[in-house]
Amino acid sequence: MYEIWLASNIVWEMALTVWPLLLAAAVAWLLLMTAAVRRPGARLRRALPAALLCAAAGAFAAFVIVPGAVGSSLGELGYWVDVANLAAIAAGCGVAVGAFAWPLAAIFRARAA
Amino acid sequence: MKRIAGQTALPPRAADAARRRLLQLGAGAPLALGASGAATPARASIRTNARIVIAGSGLGGIAVANRLSRMLDGARITIVDRKEEHNYQPGYTLVATGVWPVDKVRDRNAEFQPAGVTWVRDMVAAFDPAANAVVTAGGQRIDYDFLVVATGLHLDYAQIPGMDVAAIGSNGLASVYPGPQAAQATWAAMQSFAQKGGNAIMTLPATPLKCAGAPLKMTFMLRDRLRQAGTLDKSKVRFQSALGAVFGVKVVNDNVLARWKDLGVGVEFSRRLAAIDIGARRATFVSPEGEKEELPYDFIHVVPPMRAPDAVKNSELSWKEGPFAAGGWLEVDKATLQHRRFPNVFGIGDINGTPRGKTAATVKKSAPIVAANLVSVIAGGKPEVSFDGYTSCPLLTREGSAMLIEFDYDGKLTPSLPMIEPLQDSFFAWLLKVRMLKPAYLAVLKGRV
Ligand SMILES: Cc1cc2nc3c(=O)[nH]c(=O)nc-3n(C[C@H](O)[C@H](O)[C@H](O)COP(=O)(O)OP(=O)(O)OC[C@H]3O[C@@H](n4cnc5c(N)ncnc54)[C@H](O)[C@@H]3O)c2cc1C
Repeated sequence: MYEIWLASNIVWEMALTVWPLLLAAAVAWLLLMTAAVRRPGARLRRALPAALLCAAAGAFAAFVIVPGAVGSSLGELGYWVDVANLAAIAAGCGVAVGAFAWPLAAIFRARAA
Repeated sequence: MKRIAGQTALPPRAADAARRRLLQLGAGAPLALGASGAATPARASIRTNARIVIAGSGLGGIAVANRLSRMLDGARITIVDRKEEHNYQPGYTLVATGVWPVDKVRDRNAEFQPAGVTWVRDMVAAFDPAANAVVTAGGQRIDYDFLVVATGLHLDYAQIPGMDVAAIGSNGLASVYPGPQAAQATWAAMQSFAQKGGNAIMTLPATPLKCAGAPLKMTFMLRDRLRQAGTLDKSKVRFQSALGAVFGVKVVNDNVLARWKDLGVGVEFSRRLAAIDIGARRATFVSPEGEKEELPYDFIHVVPPMRAPDAVKNSELSWKEGPFAAGGWLEVDKATLQHRRFPNVFGIGDINGTPRGKTAATVKKSAPIVAANLVSVIAGGKPEVSFDGYTSCPLLTREGSAMLIEFDYDGKLTPSLPMIEPLQDSFFAWLLKVRMLKPAYLAVLKGRV
């Protein structure tokens, strides 16, 4: 329980240091979603596979890039706890990429149709 | 819950005064602090007009101030400390080894102190616990009902003749401890040494240390920087310990020594740095038998002896006998962190005369305990929460990897999560150190975790 409280506080403190960026990202995502929903012919459900693909690519890229970005490397993954943590971070990055890819894919598909 | 030795042994005048004030404080007010209050935020505040002085506004002082200001309604809290800059000290090793820029360890104390406290920008020059008062260097006398001592410790470079803190960064002289500037200068010295290689000496004094892992981290990282610069084969790294070990927890000590053997780091024991000639780059070591040896070096990392600041050491608050008396550490009960002779006094952080545990991680676990126990005493009760001496040290083993070591008063490894393997080289432990522990520290400072 304490560890969950501590982890939430860590995330909160990290978010505080980049809150303008997070706010801008949230507004941009809301605008994109609104545009996707309102666009004639845009189908969010149909755009889901493409978004998932982008999310998977984003997660893979994060898995490879994050160790180097923090001054470490993939070779330093010593045991399963390292792999699990990196996978969780990568999954988070993947979700973020997927969240943006989803309305974008819907908009582009509608434009292409 | 342990009973506190000497809890009622207050000097009569102080005891009467303390009792009188306690009776005036509305002591019967409800307290929403269970026995598990250490880790849980308080839910209700109690009304009191107690005067609380907190000496020191480092991590411990501010963390306790934030907690008390939420847990108490009407208390008059005064923080005494001249220091305006707040330093994230656990980041010094990262600055000193070129991982972080220096601005990451610099903040302002004013940003973290709770609203409504009085901040006296001066140092406590004398503690007078018998009269429940502190006197500042500027001569101001501040009376209190309750005192929290959070002065940290004193880096006693003066015990090393020839040592000059201002010279850190020049002539191969390094020392990570004094502050951000010294950490930055240490990195400059390390970089220029790594370019050429040569003889490196790493020292360890015999006193209790804050972050006892820091001298080891510096050694691991220096060796790694030599490897990266391609000068390892031209270099010799020797660790000179004034003790019979390099770390107080045996399994960790043995593990580090085995690693150093593999890495070619030499270790010599029972050798105290007795003097240094900075210009000539020569250090004198002395054995317990008094035998002296002068060693030339190209790079030296000096870890100073550490003790309580004079104001505490020379006061009635310090240990008068036992292993903590020589350093003048605060005489607190190691479980409740309440002073053993003055029950209206508590200690937090590096100043405490307790086994091990001079780390920010110790403050993380003990600040809620100090706040809870102090509130219990204010409410007329007894300290109810016990501290197990938790401390932690992410031991950098090279750039990109660390070991996450957590242990208690008894030197027993106590990983926070069961799956963590303390002696495993780990990317996660590195990530924690370089990205997550400062946010955790800030949450401790704000009194939230
Ligand atoms: C190089 C280094 C590496 C470290 N690495 C780690 C790590 O990896 N993990 C970890 O958990 N911890 C680490 N620490 C230890 C950690 O930073 C300290 O244990 C922690 O900051 C202690 O907090 P404190 O409040 O007791 O003391 P401090 O934060 O030092 O604050 C003490 C305050 O008291 C003030 N003061 C002193 N004398 C007086 C006086 N007479 N009157 C009024 N005020 C006074 C000072 O000005 C200061 O502001 C490291 C420390 C260093 C130096």
